[in-house]
Amino acid sequence: MSLLEVEDLEVYYETEQGPAQAVDGVSFELEEGENLGIVGESGCGKTTLAKSIIGILPDAGYINAGSINFKGDDLTEMNGAQRRRLKWEEISMIAQSAMNSLDPVYTIREQIVEAIETHRPGTGRVESNEIVTEMFELVGLDPERADDYPHQFSGGMRQRAMIAMSLALDPSLVLADEPTTALDVIMQDQILKRISQIQDEINSSMLVITHDVSVVAETCDRVIVMYAGQIAEEGPVEDIFNNPYHPYSIGLKRAFPNIRMENQDLLSIAGYPPELIDPPEGCRFAERCPMATDRCREEVPSEHEMGDLRTYCHYAEDIDQELRPYADDPETWENTVAAKNAGAQAGDD
Amino acid sequence: MAQEETTGSIFTDIDDGGSGEEINRWQRTARLWRETLSEHWGLLTDELSVKLSMLMVAFFMVVAVIAPYITENPPLQRQYESDAEIIILKWAEPSLLGADSGYLLGTTAEGFDIFSQLVYGTRAALLVGLIAAVFTAGIGTMVGLVAGYYGGKIDDALMRIVDFLYGMPMLPTVIILVALLGPSLWNIIFALIILQWRSTARVIRSQALSLRERPFVKAAEVAGAGDWHIISRHLAPNVLPMSFLYGSFAIAWAILTEAGVSFIGLGDPNTVSWGTMLQASRAYSALQFGAWWWFVPPGICIGLLVISGFLIGRGYEEITNPKLQ
Amino acid sequence: MGKASFVVRRSLQLVVTFWAVGTVLFGLFRLMPGDPTSYIVSSSMTPEARQAIIASYGLNEPMHIQYIKFLQNIVVLDFGQSFHSNAPVSEVIATYLPNTLVLMLTAFVLAYAAGITLGVLSGWYRGSRFERTAVIVALVARSVPTFYVGLLVLWIFGAGFGVIPMSGMTSAGTANLSFFAMITSVDFLQHLAAPALVLAYYFMGYPLLIMRSSMLEVLSEDFIDVCRAKGLKERTIMFKHAARNALLPIVTAAAIALGYAVGGSVLIETVFAWPGIGREMVRAVLRRDFPVAQGTFMVLAATIIILNFIADLAYGYLDPRVTYD
Repeated sequence: MSLLEVEDLEVYYETEQGPAQAVDGVSFELEEGENLGIVGESGCGKTTLAKSIIGILPDAGYINAGSINFKGDDLTEMNGAQRRRLKWEEISMIAQSAMNSLDPVYTIREQIVEAIETHRPGTGRVESNEIVTEMFELVGLDPERADDYPHQFSGGMRQRAMIAMSLALDPSLVLADEPTTALDVIMQDQILKRISQIQDEINSSMLVITHDVSVVAETCDRVIVMYAGQIAEEGPVEDIFNNPYHPYSIGLKRAFPNIRMENQDLLSIAGYPPELIDPPEGCRFAERCPMATDRCREEVPSEHEMGDLRTYCHYAEDIDQELRPYADDPETWENTVAAKNAGAQAGDD
Repeated sequence: MAQEETTGSIFTDIDDGGSGEEINRWQRTARLWRETLSEHWGLLTDELSVKLSMLMVAFFMVVAVIAPYITENPPLQRQYESDAEIIILKWAEPSLLGADSGYLLGTTAEGFDIFSQLVYGTRAALLVGLIAAVFTAGIGTMVGLVAGYYGGKIDDALMRIVDFLYGMPMLPTVIILVALLGPSLWNIIFALIILQWRSTARVIRSQALSLRERPFVKAAEVAGAGDWHIISRHLAPNVLPMSFLYGSFAIAWAILTEAGVSFIGLGDPNTVSWGTMLQASRAYSALQFGAWWWFVPPGICIGLLVISGFLIGRGYEEITNPKLQ
Repeated sequence: MGKASFVVRRSLQLVVTFWAVGTVLFGLFRLMPGDPTSYIVSSSMTPEARQAIIASYGLNEPMHIQYIKFLQNIVVLDFGQSFHSNAPVSEVIATYLPNTLVLMLTAFVLAYAAGITLGVLSGWYRGSRFERTAVIVALVARSVPTFYVGLLVLWIFGAGFGVIPMSGMTSAGTANLSFFAMITSVDFLQHLAAPALVLAYYFMGYPLLIMRSSMLEVLSEDFIDVCRAKGLKERTIMFKHAARNALLPIVTAAAIALGYAVGGSVLIETVFAWPGIGREMVRAVLRRDFPVAQGTFMVLAATIIILNFIADLAYGYLDPRVTYD
């Protein structure tokens, strides 16, 4: 049994124009001790996915279908109290923004102790403080400063404090939503190294949600590429980065600087993700894909097993054989940009 | 402030020289201001509550203008001689309730037509509200802009005056000023304006402080634009929404304060306002005699007009600060 | 800038504001047209008797001497003697101020307890019918003058149902109790209920609206998500985290509003004939009893100035992020 099994999950947001399908039929599994990355552009549904797993969807959001099984129990079937018991104790999170993820009017210690006391009512002051000290040491902060307020910490320290808090109850699963986005490059690197190191020590599972491919490369074993609420491709990190099959994975990989291939040109994928209120039929990426055909625009792609990868593209096999050099060439993508621009202009007239 | 004529502006090289220049400048300034206003006007009238409030204000304005055509009895003309000893017996009951008196809301104990007083009271309320609002917003904006733009000692001096005014209790100060200057509508308006501009000035100043650091103001400065030019053409159009907001709140506060001052007995004896009506009704114990048609309507009118002012201000606040929505 | 030097600087400002208010007050009463002494001396007196009385009030001395004495007297809280009753003004204040404070504080505590709670709830349940109703109630509460609501309450519950006393603070014949015994008597509470509730209703709108928009701002912050992820109870998140953060702006607002509330006591005290300092000021103004008017006004202004001062200091203790620069 996997630690986390998400099956055909659909999470919608109510809007004035009708439901927006933020997460649409997503399935994946996460084993104990494994680190899974979820990458995609902003608005692809990755944060919504994380929020529905933790159980903090905003009021307008709801789970339309599917299940989230955690250690064999379906989270979507649980009532509020049952759900609350699991929070932080079993599933905790490292929030997106280092600046605002801690309550400014309480000290770091108060906030960590609050989590401990909520879930383990019998815990004494001394024991709680020991946990705080232990966690601060774990993330590389001076335990003396646990009584500081968040604003007295730098951005990097705050993120460390956030990590310390997320690990305080020794959870089985930690969701890290853009854990390093708000930090500068050097601090990012330090934090990521620290996360990997802690991972080795405590053996909890982690779900890393980010738009930054390099974060996933550094921390994860397996990765899911999401596009417009759906999974585009899934598989081991090495395979996705070295030998992806989905055109979107290829484009995304080339959109970030890669230390190993310094002189590679960065490319940008033209256009924007589709509206999720009335998503296009067929493959959702077709609109922006340089290799799209009419079939792509009409027929929803099914799963293709390409070695260790799961790929949702009609032409996964063809990419393997003949299309790869074409898809890997920045010019292909630039031509698409040019074509789109031309198309847009023609459309205007 | 008269520096404008001597220093060049970034627009002067486009403008023609000579006598036409002066007019052109003012036209440009006016156009900038007009554009800001019309843009916000469009957004504002989208909101239903704001639309209703504007209709309400418009309705009262129409009533104020055509007052003599609505009622033929002047508000302060005795309809009959009354004897102080038997005042209560001389009341005319309201014809609205079926009495055969010819007065829609009856008469006061002194023999004045209540309906007529209600109608004419609109004039006083709007006069106080609008004049006080225009001056409150105007003076507050000017002071705020000057303080924020010049900074330093000028700012310090002006803000100390504002601090001092913030130490004055509104109603008691107005009461004392009116008591000393004499009870007239104009003195009430004057006393109101003296105190009310403080909040506008404070807000506009902080806006001007931040605007002053913006690139377009810096650019104008580098181009050698004069102080007055920068204030009137770069700062003022940008703070206009805020002055308008404070102006619409000032209408509401002014009407409320006038009603309060009049109710206490310092109202203008030669003008009828809703506040003086309430004062008279209390003085003649209308409450104890259950003559609700005398004291209920003026309060409702005050409430309607004031809430309109608040709703317009609130609607406007939501446009300028989307976080509140 | 450190906390200590902020307190020192702010205290100096406090003294200067007091001095300014006192000076303006002195000027107003002395420089106005008309002779203040004409109110204390009657024309039937002999010139000698008249001079004696004027001298006993110190009104015959040169202006600058009077001014210096005036300032000295303010420092020792000596505001002279009433023209009307000859009692020392400080005694008049000592009699009426506690009554005002009891009424205001009762109303204020009720208003802020209710207003803050409703504001927290309407921010938390944004978009619900509850929120819309609360906002409308708050706006109406602020738009209808308190004295008018007071009149209606007196008319309906006093004159109509006879369940509340029509005026005053105690019934006749219960006057000889000590202050503490009086304010804890049932009779007093019966008199207190109506004016306190009317005031509370009026005050409530302000904290409600501020709290609501402050909550909306706080609820969009990331740490609220973290709190929910921590598995905290809804109520804990709502009050311990969201409301606690949203409370910061309201503390300042409340302290300042309390100051203005005491200043605004004038109207409600007049309507309910509550023997408070506001009503006493109005009566002094109307009967030209300048020492009492001056003294009571000073007290009302001082309340505002001191509470503004407290608000500034309190902010630093509530928000650990405040740096005094």
